[in-house]
Amino acid sequence: MSRKAPRRSLLALRALLRDRGALVSLGFLSILVAMAAGAGLLPIEPMRQNILHALEAPSASNWFGTDELGRDILARVIYGARTSLQTAGGAVAIAACIGIPMGLIAGYYGGWRDAVLMRMVDVLLALPGILFAMAIIAVLGRSQMAALVAVGITGIPNFARITRAQVLSLRSRDFVTAVEAFGASSQYAMFRTVLPNAWSPILVQAIVLASLAILLEAALAFLGIGVPPPTPSWGEMLRTGKNYLHEAPHYAILPGVALTLTILAFDTLGRALARVLEDRHDSGAGLAAAKEEGGR
Amino acid sequence: MRQRLFGWARPLGLAAAAAAMIFAADVQRAEAQSGTLRVAVLNDMTNFDPMQFSTVNFFLIKNLYDSLIEYTEDGQAVPSLATGWEIGDGNTSVTVTLRDDVTFGATGSAFTAEDVAATWAKAADPTLGRNVYATMGIVRDWEVNGPHSITLNFNNPVPDRQILDLLQFTLPLEAAGIETIDTIPAGTGAYVLKERLVGQRVVLEANPNYWREGEPKMAEVEFTIFSDDASAAAALESGAVDLTYMGQSRTAVRLGNAGFQVIAGPGKLVQVFRINTTRAPFDNSEFRQAFNFLMNRAGILRVGYADLGEVTALPWAPASPAADPSFNEEFAYDIAKAQEMLAASGLSAAAMSDWRLLVNGSDEASTAISQVVQGSLAEAGINIDLDIRQGAEFIDALLSGDFHAVFGGVGNVQKFPSRLATNSIYRTANNPVFGEPHPHPRYVDAIARVDTTIGTPEEVQAAYDNLNRVMVEEAFGIATNSYETGLIVAAPNVEGFILDMDNLLVARGLSVR
Repeated sequence: MSRKAPRRSLLALRALLRDRGALVSLGFLSILVAMAAGAGLLPIEPMRQNILHALEAPSASNWFGTDELGRDILARVIYGARTSLQTAGGAVAIAACIGIPMGLIAGYYGGWRDAVLMRMVDVLLALPGILFAMAIIAVLGRSQMAALVAVGITGIPNFARITRAQVLSLRSRDFVTAVEAFGASSQYAMFRTVLPNAWSPILVQAIVLASLAILLEAALAFLGIGVPPPTPSWGEMLRTGKNYLHEAPHYAILPGVALTLTILAFDTLGRALARVLEDRHDSGAGLAAAKEEGGR
Repeated sequence: MRQRLFGWARPLGLAAAAAAMIFAADVQRAEAQSGTLRVAVLNDMTNFDPMQFSTVNFFLIKNLYDSLIEYTEDGQAVPSLATGWEIGDGNTSVTVTLRDDVTFGATGSAFTAEDVAATWAKAADPTLGRNVYATMGIVRDWEVNGPHSITLNFNNPVPDRQILDLLQFTLPLEAAGIETIDTIPAGTGAYVLKERLVGQRVVLEANPNYWREGEPKMAEVEFTIFSDDASAAAALESGAVDLTYMGQSRTAVRLGNAGFQVIAGPGKLVQVFRINTTRAPFDNSEFRQAFNFLMNRAGILRVGYADLGEVTALPWAPASPAADPSFNEEFAYDIAKAQEMLAASGLSAAAMSDWRLLVNGSDEASTAISQVVQGSLAEAGINIDLDIRQGAEFIDALLSGDFHAVFGGVGNVQKFPSRLATNSIYRTANNPVFGEPHPHPRYVDAIARVDTTIGTPEEVQAAYDNLNRVMVEEAFGIATNSYETGLIVAAPNVEGFILDMDNLLVARGLSVR
């Protein structure tokens, strides 16, 4: 069993790389992550002001032009990627760490635990994500951590429901019954037997949620309640850039393009992964549910 | 026989000619007052009380009400509802003579000195006086001399200019309408209220009995409330409105370059970096004084206001009698000099950075200029975060003094210098930021000296110079630049602009060709 897992993963990766859209998306995201992670090593200064050269068009010295304070927009787009990816990663981690155990417990035990946990999920689902995030930021204050927590909490229901659906389909399978018959504890059965077999749709959900998290973080920044300036953020750049659309259209357009491409890449990758895993696993219902949750 | 025949015809002819002239005048007036002036504004009004002298009400005040006197663009006092004013011996009183041909637009009642007395009574009430209350601090009482004459008595001798400011700031209300003034306007203005849809529009119609000859020019003025500056500008460019009022400087510059008229009045505001000196590290005077040199004023003016305005190290508009451009050179942006003063403060690097700059997140200009300062401070070794708050949360913090430092515009900077003390950070008593007792007694004394110096021009100038020096040394408000408020951007076919000393919109002269 333990030898099969990596081989299955490798096969899935090979299948994924055969998908042209997934390959391009993976390439784009790899470059983005590398640039965001290594931004500190690049000869760029996203905070350095040069007011005399404010709102200049793209040139050899400033490939993406400059903003209203004369800061290099390319540098800010790169550092903005770091903000977006950190928020997305943190949000997915929070959502997964809380949502997956909730779904696991609800699906495995059923009964009153299932009822209570799923009603909590229903409550979270009933609240529009952006409004809920705004309320959390109003309480926590405006910071990257607040944005990350707010976006993460809005992702909890998706993970909980997907995991529960997977657990319900696996719960009555023979290998789970066999483990229980050998006297394994509930915790062992849940975390060592059921969960490893339910990871496919959860992985797809993580990728889809990452794109949603980036979009939500940008939306919060665009509304003026995201990461506070001068920290570079694509949403904040869009918000400020729209004021200069007549004089410097590149200011809003280029961060907008970066944001669009990143979300498109995550979405394309998530869909391709769902297709690949659907072909390779007998868990079509779960993957379909993951895609559906992602589209919410 | 012929003479007898024409004897009865002559008066008939005269009567006919007179009727024709009256008819022609009516036709002319009707023609003159045809059409609707369409104005885009960016905020809905809050109420109809002219003593609620807030920028959101600026588009209405001078259209529903008239002042006792007006100022020309260069600050000369001219008659309005008052035909004359005589300052008594020793500058302890002023007697005002009122027009006798004025009626209130909404009711048609005659305007008398009793209405002015009722207006001053409201202004002198701590609750009802609102923004005018502080101005009435110099007034002892008043007496009505007759239907069209009233005398105002002061506690102490008051400089001429301060008396004129008070008359210019007096917009008489109809005595019977004062109780309901928040919701029902009661003025003598060129227009009266026709319709108001909250959050959407306010429509005024011409006052048929207005006392100024040939005004107002338009039959109606329709103010449409736009949610943002870009939408208002787009409406102007598409021809949906005739002018925009109170738009952003940057947009005005762009529209001016595109052929629209950009009209700026004399009533500029001055942007001031307000410091709460009751909080560390700003309780250290050397630390505060360094901020005089940490303000990149030219950069702030460019980034925040598209260079529409002037840099200034003092909170005065260029038209102020206390304006002194030499301070701009003395306190020019100089990081090295600032660093010397910071070192002299004796504060540690950590203490110098242990505060946050409050920012009005709803105002793009404030956000941008706060980042300029943040950048300058970083160059000087002070690394701070911005505390960005929106809407009411920001206003609460600003007015209650819940901040270390914040940018905020101050008004009345073109009038008598002590009028500066009407702005919260500059109040000499009941200061909402500093509380009591005022932590800057030198400033309080300097304002008092300006208020009481009635001597030679040299003595008056000395009082102004003293105030200026005290303000930069106490350094609780660091002026950076003057900027436009109440900017008008109009289509090329709009004419008849009347500029107001406070940049309020005056529509009575406006017409569309």
